[in-house]
Amino acid sequence: MFPTDANVIVGLERADDAGVYKISDDLALIQTVDFFTPIVDDPYSFGQIAAANALSDVYAMGGVPKTAMNLVAFPVKDMEIGILRRIIQGGLDKLTEAGVVLIGGHSIEDRELKYGLSVTGTVHPQRVLTKNGLRANDRLVLTKPLGTGIVNTAIKAGMAPPELVEQVTRLMAALNRTAGEVMARFDVHACTDVTGFGLLGHLAEMVSGSGLGVHIDSRKVPVMVEALTYASMGLIPAGAYRNREFREPMVVFAEAVERSRQDALFDPQTSGGLLISVSGTQAGDLVKALGDAGVGDSAEIGAVLTGPEEKIWVV
Amino acid sequence: MKEIDARGLACPAPVLQTKATLQEEKPAAVKVVVDNAASQQNVQRFLESQGFQTTLKQQGADFLVVGTCGSEPREHAQAATEPEGDAKKIMVLCATDRLGFGDDELGLKLMVNFLRTLKEMGPDLWRLVFVNNGVKLAIDGSEVIEDLKAYEKTGLKILVCGTCLNYFKLLDRKQVGETTNMLDIVTAAQLADKVITL
Repeated sequence: MFPTDANVIVGLERADDAGVYKISDDLALIQTVDFFTPIVDDPYSFGQIAAANALSDVYAMGGVPKTAMNLVAFPVKDMEIGILRRIIQGGLDKLTEAGVVLIGGHSIEDRELKYGLSVTGTVHPQRVLTKNGLRANDRLVLTKPLGTGIVNTAIKAGMAPPELVEQVTRLMAALNRTAGEVMARFDVHACTDVTGFGLLGHLAEMVSGSGLGVHIDSRKVPVMVEALTYASMGLIPAGAYRNREFREPMVVFAEAVERSRQDALFDPQTSGGLLISVSGTQAGDLVKALGDAGVGDSAEIGAVLTGPEEKIWVV
Repeated sequence: MKEIDARGLACPAPVLQTKATLQEEKPAAVKVVVDNAASQQNVQRFLESQGFQTTLKQQGADFLVVGTCGSEPREHAQAATEPEGDAKKIMVLCATDRLGFGDDELGLKLMVNFLRTLKEMGPDLWRLVFVNNGVKLAIDGSEVIEDLKAYEKTGLKILVCGTCLNYFKLLDRKQVGETTNMLDIVTAAQLADKVITL
């Protein structure tokens, strides 16, 4: 067991998107850190995506990010320093867009480039959103289309046209800020952001221990059309296969769900959208409000039911 | 048989190596060796998407994917279902999901009825092509989807305009037929003995 104290609202034992620590009865801190190796060629875009990804964990907890610090590992002997400047500029611009201030950071020399941020935000202790909290008759809403892992694999393979590179970069760099702000106006019971485990992997975390079941209408899940094409050609990241293998016992696919769509549901996402469990009566209004606020890819993708216990049915 | 050793490579490299070999050497059969399950599945799916039939063998820690291309199976399979002898080649081009103008509800009923009755043409019916609003007949929820699937089973070639599906954002909802382009449609119109446009 890890040491803890009474003010820890979300700690290690819960494996949630971020840690939450109560400061007073009406204020809690959210802390998270995220960094990775480059996922796109353009340094500025990489910086933007890394920042959007790090900030996302705070939005997923229902909080507002306030400050950030850079984490940099850079091969200073092999790489031109201008590249690092552009990465950091990308991150900084994303923070500015989010209304977050950069207040420090740390860099080391490393053989492989890595960049990310630690982000601190605030939330009311009573309004913390975690992965637990699904309720029967909730509806599930997803705020970004799936497919970034598959499309990035096609990009690595040199098979994606430049417009698609641009499109997927924009998608990954898009903040979950607006989605988080809109969500705060509704009766939301649980939330996470979709990243490396894929939609079904993260959904499995929400379902585990809930005693409830989830039904997903795969046709309603927003997926980049190109991702389905590339998946059918075998341009699928190894992570998608791992995600499937790990969660297969919890997932039941109807026969009609094509293989490539199943792959998209397990596709590891970089800086994916929020996965929101909202009171059933409010789902339509939430999707509409998200659309009105510019989060136009949002869709209601399924429902939380009393059974089958801790299974995900995909039709 | 052409052999490709893609061991030690991570996705998508084994698929790329296979793709390059197919393009350069156009082998009729190919054997790809990989050392992880993800690459194995990716290579298998790639070969299948290129018209190969695949078999899988495990060899110690490695996977052997064998792809055989039954001498251009696609073209020949199609040729076999083409009408023979004195059958006419009639192409029906549906540019709308409603038959005629006036009342939309009636128009849809008429279209459904028309498509169902088309089978009376017998082997003369050669191509069924959907463009513009017509593509909405070939997606899930269409009233005639089961009829169209039945036509396809009998060997009728159904072409659905990709540009149109894309325009209506229906690409992933298409349930029947081949996604096609304008060149295919023009070529079909040229080869047909008669084109009926709706």
